[in-house]
Amino acid sequence: MTHQGCKHLREFKSTDGTGSYRILVSYFVACSSTEARKRKAKSCICHSCRVISARLHSCLSCVYFGCYGGNDHIKQHATTKRHNFAVDLSHGAVFCFLCKDYIYDAEFDEILAMSRKASKQSIGLDKTCQPWEPSCIEKELMQLHPKRRKVTEYSTIGLRGLINLGNTCFMNCIVQALTHTPLLRDFFLADKHNCLMLNESQRCLVCEMSRLFQEFYSGVRTPHTPYRLLHLVWTHARHLAGYEQQDAHEFLIAALDVLHRHCKGNNGLSKSNPHHCNCIIDQIFTGGLQSDVTCQKCNNVSTTIDPFWDISLDLGPPPNSLLLNPALYGAFEQPTSLMSCLKRFTRPEHLGSSAKIKCSKCHSYQESTKQLTMKKLPVVACFHLKRFEHSTGYHKKISTYVEFPEELDMTAFMSSSRSNNNGYSNQVVHLTANGLTSQHKYSLYAVVNHRGTADTGHYTCFIRQHKNQWFKCEDHLITKVDLKDVLRSEGYLLFYHKQILEYE
Amino acid sequence: MSDDRRVRDAQMRATINQKLVETGERERLKELLRTRLIECGWRDQLKAHCKEVVRQKGLEHVTVDDLVSEITPKGRALVPDTVKKELLQRIRTFLSQQSNI
Repeated sequence: MTHQGCKHLREFKSTDGTGSYRILVSYFVACSSTEARKRKAKSCICHSCRVISARLHSCLSCVYFGCYGGNDHIKQHATTKRHNFAVDLSHGAVFCFLCKDYIYDAEFDEILAMSRKASKQSIGLDKTCQPWEPSCIEKELMQLHPKRRKVTEYSTIGLRGLINLGNTCFMNCIVQALTHTPLLRDFFLADKHNCLMLNESQRCLVCEMSRLFQEFYSGVRTPHTPYRLLHLVWTHARHLAGYEQQDAHEFLIAALDVLHRHCKGNNGLSKSNPHHCNCIIDQIFTGGLQSDVTCQKCNNVSTTIDPFWDISLDLGPPPNSLLLNPALYGAFEQPTSLMSCLKRFTRPEHLGSSAKIKCSKCHSYQESTKQLTMKKLPVVACFHLKRFEHSTGYHKKISTYVEFPEELDMTAFMSSSRSNNNGYSNQVVHLTANGLTSQHKYSLYAVVNHRGTADTGHYTCFIRQHKNQWFKCEDHLITKVDLKDVLRSEGYLLFYHKQILEYE
Repeated sequence: MSDDRRVRDAQMRATINQKLVETGERERLKELLRTRLIECGWRDQLKAHCKEVVRQKGLEHVTVDDLVSEITPKGRALVPDTVKKELLQRIRTFLSQQSNI
């Protein structure tokens, strides 16, 4: 089938032109004005049986709409009137009754594409999902590399153990979590990183991540030795250098920081404008945390929004100062689930008399309440359960079981759900909770665990592969596990990926 | 009685359809559906199935009508429940906002 139509259509175009097709498309297939939409709503029925049908066609030669299939009124019309072309009003395709099939004409296709674009813009659908079509360069590349790898449900590609280089399990488990972050994997496997570290790409951590993804997805099954990565981490994050045991959370934050800086190259761009970054790390990990401080005297609310990469959640009992106030104690019980941790995190907190803040409205130092909520959700939500307490003189680990779900809904913790009379009407809350049910939903894809004490121990990691397969990574060992093993584990770092992504 | 009801149902359906078209909501719903079906792999599955049908019948002997009749049952069955639910929810929300239905 070619894009040149058929000889019948070519004849038709030479005598009648494309005008009638153009009008049909802009009024009945892809409307771009309210007037056109109204007309379409009223008149799109079969002229013979007066029924709304899914495959309504319009004659291209006269004003006649008829159903296709069933009663086939459009076919009857074509036969009796010898009008040989009909346009499918839901898709804009042209049917030739002489060829008895739909035909494709480049000129008509172009008219249709233009109308579709205008139509989408008119109803605010500028950013839509476009299925991937290979470009010329990509087609060439694929011809040059004819070997294909098909990923099936059972393929283990992407799973690879990592050799422990001397207490480096803290690094290995974070590497496993990062290499199994869907959006990050797509970025690196699509070769999207353009190194800006002039003449120094050997020192670029993003380039090293890129190589690491190649190693993970090469299909090699022997464990990988991440010595180059370790060396780069040592040179760029000096506090992590040496063969000491380190905190996996500290490593994650340091790694994200270095990756973020290296995305910008080494020309210091990030320092001049740290808030307007759209590097891959920021696109995936950065969320916005809203802090509302309410003055107790005049009820003035001052709002600030800060970016975050992870959320650290308290697990311990309330601080001593609050224990003295029994009225507040109930609200500060030791959390037993991720949900209760998040509730505690986003609950309004009274800042006592020792922490008076100058109110910008009544210009006096007043006691106030502070509440944190999610202004912008990141694509990957990374929760850090604060299991390690380091006070002067003692180190303690809190090993309480904290229940966490496979699927997490963040709607309740959004700034738009904040329950007060501060400009958020109930209707807005109602709509967000009701209409867009899956907009704020996340799925668990990696869990980092620590066993041992605050001073010494070992890190392991659970990662999700494909849709619902879980694996445990312990340095060079990888074993298949059940989801319930994951959910039953202690949990130190929890990685959730957003289920629905917006198109940009 | 039941005839009466059938007529009223048909009228209601026509009114709802008209509202959906007039406001552009029908296009928005279609776009949402298209997006979700691409995301969940439905489109790829159906494409593969179409290719299979074309291969079996031979490129020169297959018409769009043949494809439609072969693919439609499978296509309907493969739409995930979550997608149907989301669309139904959207239609409900839309209708609840229309005062004059």
